[in-house]
Amino acid sequence: MSSMEPSGDGGKWLDAHYDPVAGLYTFSSCVDLADLSGDGESRLVLGDLGSGSSGMKLKVYRGTALMSESTLLDLPAGLVAFFMDLHEPRIPAVAVASGPCIYVYKNMRPYYKFTLPGLEVNTLEQDVWQQVREGQIDPLTLKEMLESIRKKADTPLSVRSLRFLSLEPDEMEEFVQLQKQQPIKRQTVITCIGTLKKSTADEDGVSCLVIGTECSDVYILDPEAFIILTKMSLPAAPTMMDVTGQYDVEFRITVACRNGNIYILRRESDKPKYCVELSSHPVGLVRVGKNMVVGCTDESLQGFTQKGKKLWRVELPAPITTMASMDLPTKGFQAVLLGLANCEVHLYRDKNLLSTIKTPDVVSSICFGRYGREDGTLIMTTKGGGLMVKILKRTAAFEDRDNAPGPPLAQSIRLNVPKKTKLYVDQTLRERENGLAMHRAFQMDLSRLRLAAAKAYVKALESSLTPMSSSLTEPLKMNAVVQGLGPSFKLTLNVQNTAACRPVMNLAISFLYDEGLYRMKNPYMRIPLLVPGLIYPVETFVECTSDKGISDIIKVFVLHEGRSSPLLTAHINMPISEGLMLN
Amino acid sequence: MEVTMDPMFLAWSYFRRRKLQQCSDICTKILQENPYDQAAWSLKTRALTEMVYIDEIEVDQEGIAEMMLDESSIAQVARPGTSLRLPGTSQGGGPTQAVRPMTQSGRPITGFVRPSTQSGRPGTMEQAIKTPRTASTARPVTSASGRHIRLGTASMLTNPEGPFINLSRLNLAKYSQKPNLSRTLFEYIFHHENDVKNALDLAAQATEHAQFKDWWWKVQLGKCYYRLGLYREAEKQFRSALNHQEVVDTYLYLAKVYQRLDQPITALNLFKQGLDHFPGEVTLLTGIARIHEEMNNISSATEYYKDVLKQDNTHVEAIACIGSNHFYTDQPEIALRFYRRLLQMGVYNCQLYNNLGLCCFYAQQYDMTLSSFERALTLVANDEEQADVWYNIGHVAVGIGDLTLAYQCFKLALAFNNDHAEAYNNLAVLELRKGRIEQAKAFLQTAESLAPHMYEPHFNLSILSEKIGDLQSSYTAAQKSEDSFPEHVDTQQLLRQLRQHFSVL
Repeated sequence: MSSMEPSGDGGKWLDAHYDPVAGLYTFSSCVDLADLSGDGESRLVLGDLGSGSSGMKLKVYRGTALMSESTLLDLPAGLVAFFMDLHEPRIPAVAVASGPCIYVYKNMRPYYKFTLPGLEVNTLEQDVWQQVREGQIDPLTLKEMLESIRKKADTPLSVRSLRFLSLEPDEMEEFVQLQKQQPIKRQTVITCIGTLKKSTADEDGVSCLVIGTECSDVYILDPEAFIILTKMSLPAAPTMMDVTGQYDVEFRITVACRNGNIYILRRESDKPKYCVELSSHPVGLVRVGKNMVVGCTDESLQGFTQKGKKLWRVELPAPITTMASMDLPTKGFQAVLLGLANCEVHLYRDKNLLSTIKTPDVVSSICFGRYGREDGTLIMTTKGGGLMVKILKRTAAFEDRDNAPGPPLAQSIRLNVPKKTKLYVDQTLRERENGLAMHRAFQMDLSRLRLAAAKAYVKALESSLTPMSSSLTEPLKMNAVVQGLGPSFKLTLNVQNTAACRPVMNLAISFLYDEGLYRMKNPYMRIPLLVPGLIYPVETFVECTSDKGISDIIKVFVLHEGRSSPLLTAHINMPISEGLMLN
Repeated sequence: MEVTMDPMFLAWSYFRRRKLQQCSDICTKILQENPYDQAAWSLKTRALTEMVYIDEIEVDQEGIAEMMLDESSIAQVARPGTSLRLPGTSQGGGPTQAVRPMTQSGRPITGFVRPSTQSGRPGTMEQAIKTPRTASTARPVTSASGRHIRLGTASMLTNPEGPFINLSRLNLAKYSQKPNLSRTLFEYIFHHENDVKNALDLAAQATEHAQFKDWWWKVQLGKCYYRLGLYREAEKQFRSALNHQEVVDTYLYLAKVYQRLDQPITALNLFKQGLDHFPGEVTLLTGIARIHEEMNNISSATEYYKDVLKQDNTHVEAIACIGSNHFYTDQPEIALRFYRRLLQMGVYNCQLYNNLGLCCFYAQQYDMTLSSFERALTLVANDEEQADVWYNIGHVAVGIGDLTLAYQCFKLALAFNNDHAEAYNNLAVLELRKGRIEQAKAFLQTAESLAPHMYEPHFNLSILSEKIGDLQSSYTAAQKSEDSFPEHVDTQQLLRQLRQHFSVL
């Protein structure tokens, strides 16, 4: 039996369910908890991304079992459960944002599809396609014209034109035939979705949908008629949003954008009121009380006021994978859950780390809330597709750990400095007494050694023994690798031109070896032009013809055409051939 | 009339004086006159065996097949401290990689080259078939080939008229009944002919004849099984032999089996058990020290080497290992003592003078430094040793600030040994100081490809790339450096800096 390893959370969580092969691939924005049948039991609704190209599904879990699933047409960008009317029993609808549409499900059946209004299409582009429809221009001309439009015009091209431009010439004709009859449209896609209470702050009050789009707009939709109530625009495409307040009274939409800024939108204006410029890209945005907490790619967690004033910043041990808020109204407890890439989930209240949960895999989505009949349930899906459910113990209490400043830990670590030995002291004494003689001896030896080294160096240079040449015209470097067990060996010579910018030409390689011992396929090879900085592997095969278990040196010369002395030489100690002895 | 000595007696005398060739010649003569002289026959087999005998305990060469296709180890992912296969699990608190260089397998280099210290397990097949730098032969395919086959062929070359005993025509069953002949015959087959299968046959029949009560035959059976790679069977035989008779050799063989099975803890326990029966036995103590050393536990290895020295104060391996350990733990003056002791004992070679020179330099005994290196240069036996000496002189030159001399020395090291990765690395640093970035980069890349286990070229390349603004290559190089030396603080800092750089807008 394998014993459960202590997860380091101080026993605050009960492990309710863990299915490592649930096959759920999703992010926090596509997970929600809602009482979908009105019986007081919350269900888990997930937009499953499948493999990214197929298998997108809307899944509903009840307890530990999958209750229903329905296929989605496109990748879900976000999922929210919301009350859209005042009918009894109070059953929330589920809105799934994918592509340019919002699909609204009620009782887990498709109920309504809302499509974003199309964008303005470039008139020139429209004209061009019109001409195609009338058969005035052929696909190649069309391509040229579209490309020129793309370069000049302010309005971007439609998806169809962009797709056409990416096609190979032989696929164009078919594409044009298929598409030319349809009117041209330009659409944007939804990047994030949220809900905003309409007029009351009640739990089950009617909510509006708030959506952010790729063309940097934020729309607020009426829940019953699905008409756009308000349109606001941002300087960049939104990626995450957080909404608070009521539409009819006062609201505040906090949007994290792709340019690394966070904008705060208010009811009065359709332009952002405040802006927070982050030092790196945000990966998670959560509101706690009146403050917002932002996780960034530089492994930090930062707190801001609702007017965008920075309050604090903490460094994290690993990159953030996902973030979610943990709200326990019965205890008046609000905190932030962070999924980290080192397989941990951290719980932060303000800048204090309250607890750490170790997970068997990297968590990709987190959702905290009421599930089944249990108020404090933590639901996580992992990168490998697992589903994990943990329940907060009712007795659990989180204490703010006091991280009072003190001397750093490293100060108390003792360095392992070896003791001064008696021998050392004696030797130092000797050095002190005979300093002059020692210095003279050393200087004399040094001069002798310099001479010896210089002689050997000159000899090596004259016979080009070194594996690199330092001549100004052909600075080359070579190293050789022998691979194989024998009798056949592969000899790889890596030749590199180490000049800054000048190529080297007209080089050749030749070998010198004992012909009684070795046979070489091509003992003379020409080297192609050597571009500076790149390593050129030159390969050849050597066969050992002796079965006596003897080995020898093979000399490699790099030669320049028309010069007799080699540029550089390498000696290869051949290994002993093992191959013949095996049989 | 001249009185001649009895040829048999003469042969014995030659054998005792280890004049084996003469002994074998006389035996051949006796056998020509009387082919049925069992004493001469037995003596000749012994003489021939002694000619090629190598201590079976020390010969250990892991072949590619053993390393890459290993099935006998128990745990593929062993707990730290229980396996010889996991490098970098240092518990001894010895010096880190930054101070003491590592071998390809991630263990600190030892002070004494013995079989299997230079090998280590390569991570990939490509690494395995590349010719390693320290051993100038390629790795044998299996341990059954390699050295043993080479010895076998060598003995065949010396006997042009064919082998002394034709094994295929030998009636092994008959010989196994004769205890006085069978042992010498076995050793001949095992060591001289290297025919493990026939040796195994003979041993099996002989041990049956001895009613499974003779420990000697069991040990021989175990040796045969070990050669054939049947480690569990070998273990059984050695264990059973130990039940009959406690012999040091048997403990050593059995420990060898456990090391091959990757059970160093069992081997250690066995050695300790052996020490209970043979207190202060040097070979057992050395065995313990070697295992500790291989498991990166340098401090306890040193303790055991000290115990060895208490028993045998001329033990070269122990002196060399303790010396190198003192050198790398910042006490070169004590290391110098140990190396001088080796010199007094008559060890007189290039490596020793090389070490002495370096120790003198770091212990500030400057008058003897360079003369030691000069003597080392006169004693070199091959190009690789010469390269190592020049490399060390290069270090001294860097230490006294003579960069021209250092440059020449490192270049010379490369001229004598084209694969000297450390020299490439140091040369690259010197080139960088001269401002020749392209050259430095090329050298570092070469060093990287020659010795992927060293962290220095990776780290240097990372710094270089970062300086010239190539952050991506800097990051990949830093990651490689982190892989080979996870505790390196500078690498960590560089990585942190780069990550910060990447995440900033």
